[in-house]
Amino acid sequence: MEQQLDCALDLMRRLPPQHIERNLSDLVDLVPALCEDLLSSVDQPLKIARDKNTGRDYLLCDYNRDGDSYRSPWSNVYDPALEDGAMPSERLRKLELEANHAFDQYRDMYFEGGVSSVYLWDLEPGFAGVILIKKAGDGSKKIKGCWDSIHVVEVIEKSSGRSAHYKLTSTAMLWLQTNKLGSGTMNLGGSLTRQSEQDNTVSEASPHIANIGRMVEDMENKIRNTLNEIYFGKTKDIVNGLRSVQSLPDQKQKDALRNSIKEALIIRQARTTSQPSE
Amino acid sequence: MASDYSEQISDEDKVRIASNFILYSPPGEFNEVFNDVRVLVQNDGLLKEGVARAIADYNKDQLTPVRLEGQTHYALVTEHNDLGSGRFLDPKAKLSFKFDHLKKEALDLKPNDGEPSTEVWRSAIESQLCSYVASHYPHGVSAVYARNQGSALTLVCCIEDHQFQPKNFWNGRWRSVWTVNMVGGSTAEVRGLLKVQVHYYEDGNVQLVTSKDIKETITIAGEEETARELVQLIENSENDYQTAISENYQTMSETTFKALRRQLPVTRTKIDWGKIVAYSVGKELKKQ
Repeated sequence: MEQQLDCALDLMRRLPPQHIERNLSDLVDLVPALCEDLLSSVDQPLKIARDKNTGRDYLLCDYNRDGDSYRSPWSNVYDPALEDGAMPSERLRKLELEANHAFDQYRDMYFEGGVSSVYLWDLEPGFAGVILIKKAGDGSKKIKGCWDSIHVVEVIEKSSGRSAHYKLTSTAMLWLQTNKLGSGTMNLGGSLTRQSEQDNTVSEASPHIANIGRMVEDMENKIRNTLNEIYFGKTKDIVNGLRSVQSLPDQKQKDALRNSIKEALIIRQARTTSQPSE
Repeated sequence: MASDYSEQISDEDKVRIASNFILYSPPGEFNEVFNDVRVLVQNDGLLKEGVARAIADYNKDQLTPVRLEGQTHYALVTEHNDLGSGRFLDPKAKLSFKFDHLKKEALDLKPNDGEPSTEVWRSAIESQLCSYVASHYPHGVSAVYARNQGSALTLVCCIEDHQFQPKNFWNGRWRSVWTVNMVGGSTAEVRGLLKVQVHYYEDGNVQLVTSKDIKETITIAGEEETARELVQLIENSENDYQTAISENYQTMSETTFKALRRQLPVTRTKIDWGKIVAYSVGKELKKQ
């Protein structure tokens, strides 16, 4: 069983991420016993639903799912209606509402659009939560773009109540797609996952949401830089390592020229420094 | 939701799913994907029978290069030189070989002249293509196959270049297939299919999948002249494609990516979470 789960997760790390949903449903068909484990450990692109009670959009994931229903963070109601769906405790629901307001502002400041949702659930001891953000591009310049953030945080409160341990696992998915006359179809997409842990004091000046918020902000800023390097630097370099637009002998000549200039400069520099100053 | 674990799918469906996983293996990662599939299916007998076709299709689709004993060049395994019964033609060496699709080795070499009547055309294109590939592909392998059907002559040029660096968590492959159909007359239709796939998987799974279809016409003259024109067309088209990919990278990075998420808020400073939380709590209190 465990070996099968490892292999299923390895497979999901290798198969084209553009087909996550289909690959996941095929895996569940192949080994039905892995269903719950796979759904809780494989991140999928987030889906948007509209809360019928408030008219506000919210995001769907495995953490606000119970059976086939999803709970809205705005009205706390399951859709389709569920009589005894899982709910956070009263204390946690209050925190959840505050967290939704806080991360809604965070989303607005960094994404200037999109949808966010925060879901919390009780742990013994402590609690855990997920912060979700989805932003689709406007498709300008014929390129479709989409960003999904999934931040899962575990909070273990120390017995003193004055500090807590935070463990954050963040996944950012970035999807870019275009179909143009010159380039044909080009699909660049996938996800990166990073983790961080820290202890923090918990006080009125530094409540859980602020502690989590700082961690999420730092992490997402870091992942954004890494996405930038990998998507637009690394994969592009790999393409240009497979084929060269300039013909290769030309490139060798250029390199040779560059080297001879460099050598000439070094020699010149050596000469000027070895001469006594006047 | 699949809640009933006892509900098992048929062997036929298992083979279909396993075959799909294999066909979607990123370049250079067939062995890892196949191993995962074996553990998941847990029925080697079923797999051996069921996915042999998918494995062969995958190797042909990837334009898998293979070294033949005694040859300095690589041969390719493609659908265009498939002789049936697991054998493939290497027209450059004038040999046929049996390909072991799991070990990716060539065995049982036999002399094979292919279709001698096509050789003048085939070899003229081959020599032009080889020098083109040498000047644009750092590790390129190419092959030209020819087929006579009645009065029509079909020539297929295949180009493959890959870099597998699993230690650095990335793999990539370029593939080109160019088909020329000569049915008599002064021109011939040329079709190209260009594909690039890159997989980067350190703490993630990022893939570039791109492809372009090309349809062009060349004028038919003597073998040498036509071969030159064809390979010039290939060079121009592939340069255009690669340049267009670079331009997309530029736009995606400078426009699309920036519009999705800012590096910092408009204020150019990180968020004051104390302020945000106080505001959020206030908003909640007001509602109550």
